[in-house]
Amino acid sequence: MAVSAVHLESDAFLVCMNHALSTEKEEVMGLCIGEVTTDSFFACFGVDTNRIVHIHSVIILRRSDKRKDRVEISPEQLSSAATESYRLAEMTGRPMRVVGWYHSHPHITVWPSHVDVRTQAMYQMMDQGFVGLIFSCFIEDKNTKTGRVLYTCFQSVQAQKGSEYERIEIPIHVIPHEAIGKVCLESAVELPRILCQEEQDTYRKIHSLTQLDPITKIHNGSVFTKNLCSQMSAVSGPLLQWLEDRLEQNKQNIIELQLEKERLTQELATM
Amino acid sequence: MAASISGYTFSSVCYHSANSNSDHEGFLLGEVRQEETVSISDTQISSAELLQVVEVHNHEPCAQLFSFYDYAGKVNDENLNRILKDRHKNVIGWYRFRRNTQQQMSFREQIIHKQLTQLLGVPDLVFLLFSFISTANNSTHALEYVLFRPNRSRYNQRVTLHIPNLGTTSQQEYKVSSVPNTSLNYAKVIKEHGAEFFDKDGVMKDIRTIFQVYGALQDRVQAVCGEVEQNERVKEKFQEEVNKLKQQIALRKQKSAEEERRLQEAQNPEQRPTPEENSEPLETSLLSRVVFHTPSTPERLGPSANPPSYADLLSLQDDSLLPSLSSPTSAALLPRPQAVGSPGHPSPSPLGLNPSPAPSPSMPYLGNGDGSSSDSLDRQAAGQEDDDEEEEEDDDDDSSEYENLVSEVAQLPPVTASVLAQGRPAALSPDGDASVLGSQTS
Repeated sequence: MAVSAVHLESDAFLVCMNHALSTEKEEVMGLCIGEVTTDSFFACFGVDTNRIVHIHSVIILRRSDKRKDRVEISPEQLSSAATESYRLAEMTGRPMRVVGWYHSHPHITVWPSHVDVRTQAMYQMMDQGFVGLIFSCFIEDKNTKTGRVLYTCFQSVQAQKGSEYERIEIPIHVIPHEAIGKVCLESAVELPRILCQEEQDTYRKIHSLTQLDPITKIHNGSVFTKNLCSQMSAVSGPLLQWLEDRLEQNKQNIIELQLEKERLTQELATM
Repeated sequence: MAASISGYTFSSVCYHSANSNSDHEGFLLGEVRQEETVSISDTQISSAELLQVVEVHNHEPCAQLFSFYDYAGKVNDENLNRILKDRHKNVIGWYRFRRNTQQQMSFREQIIHKQLTQLLGVPDLVFLLFSFISTANNSTHALEYVLFRPNRSRYNQRVTLHIPNLGTTSQQEYKVSSVPNTSLNYAKVIKEHGAEFFDKDGVMKDIRTIFQVYGALQDRVQAVCGEVEQNERVKEKFQEEVNKLKQQIALRKQKSAEEERRLQEAQNPEQRPTPEENSEPLETSLLSRVVFHTPSTPERLGPSANPPSYADLLSLQDDSLLPSLSSPTSAALLPRPQAVGSPGHPSPSPLGLNPSPAPSPSMPYLGNGDGSSSDSLDRQAAGQEDDDEEEEEDDDDDSSEYENLVSEVAQLPPVTASVLAQGRPAALSPDGDASVLGSQTS
């Protein structure tokens, strides 16, 4: 049964956007966590059941292969994603699991490449309902100075002839969710940590090379410092700023809600 | 002029926009800097060019439309100050998000902009326009954004908005091997003086230091994140309580309205009552929520037999706010308004920008071609003020009626979806369903 639609909670959408906009030089990726519901309403009328994939949260992943056109998830990351799903399941009291993956296409069209379609087909072998999301960003139309951010949802099917796969479009809707969930917030602040981890791993490999002279070592150490500084100013800093602004906005909203609650309580009392 | 906005602020605007089922607007806070670029050309020794750099630091979303202006587009100074409070001086622009509309400032936006320029005292106030379009099957969505400088001359009104990001974190900059050098002097000097950089473990001192900075920063990020998380939960709780109170008030009003009607019926027995709620114009969206939350209103719903998955779906939506009544299932059932091609765009399909190796489909966007939004479908869409801009140019008074119409129509789909949910499988007759389905798929 094909997936009939994907419902992406807006706070998960926020994390995806944050992640996709974090870098324009390479593709980022992550996993989507949620549940699949089957709407058996139409079954009474003989129509195929609707399978709707609800995405409640996302996990930012480290890219094991940083080449520009490839996105692959290591088994360890899949298993840690499963752990995250259990956590989310415990928190919400509903069965949660990995239901899809997303990645970004900076400066590239939103449509999945052949590699993406093949990768998606592979995931579908283990889970028919697995969906793929792509966020395309940093697109600009120079003539009209219009910037664009696009997102699409797809699955793969076997093409009519030959063994190639082709994509099928899946409707995707962003579901309003006024408050940002705990899991989404935690996912969002993972990004600087993941970036630092990647940098540390690379540096450690370089550092273990023995035949480097001091100048080269100093150079490499400075590259590490530079990269970490770049991460802090481009990611950690703006993230902290946004969190503080959100805190302020929330405090304001809470005051307003309190006032409204009092007003409504009074109104109810007089009725 | 150059403009930049952080990815987090941008995503936050997208997030607030996604949460609203109508247009969304707010203010842009930040600062404007003058940057001097000195260039030397053949004709002059040096020429300094002043570049104005607009940096958006964060945004102040407006909770509702028309919060600081009225239907005639007149800006209310008091309301403006109430919204902005002490951030008055940080305002550098404002933004608006609308769906299925052209990438141009509407007339109302232009007159509001002029007034804001005066009231806020910002001569070069900018306006950021977000417009959202989708393919007919809703699988692909595009958010387009343009930054306008309306106070400038007719030309050069659009400014590129840059989103600074990590750029390249390529590991190519690390050197895996040293440049071969057999000079003993070289080796000796760099070893002796280079030792300054390393501590006794052979690790570069700088690395330890920067790592400490990073660690402290990340700890702070976690701490603030924890505070935000607590805040969000408190806000959610208050919102729930406010919603409950509104429900109770609506219920009381409904009951008293029913009693009045019964009294009237008692007085005029020949008048037929119309309990069918779909034929009544819904006053508030809450009535619809009351309907599916209280199965004790038997005249509307059959015996409720909620299959758990669907009810869970609905209870999931309970947590979200009132405005989020654009019920997903109903949205999935409703045909979405078709995408709009903008006459300003050189290429009709914005997705055809880059050559892609992927099999690209034929034109996914089915607009009317002339830039107008398809009106009949629009009006069925859940709470979207798409025709607002078109109508304003003709007559500002009409838009208020349209908005009421739209908000009423917006409440119909969730009701019918919920009625479907509650009523299945036994309660509703196939005919009733067919008509409901028919109306939704028209």
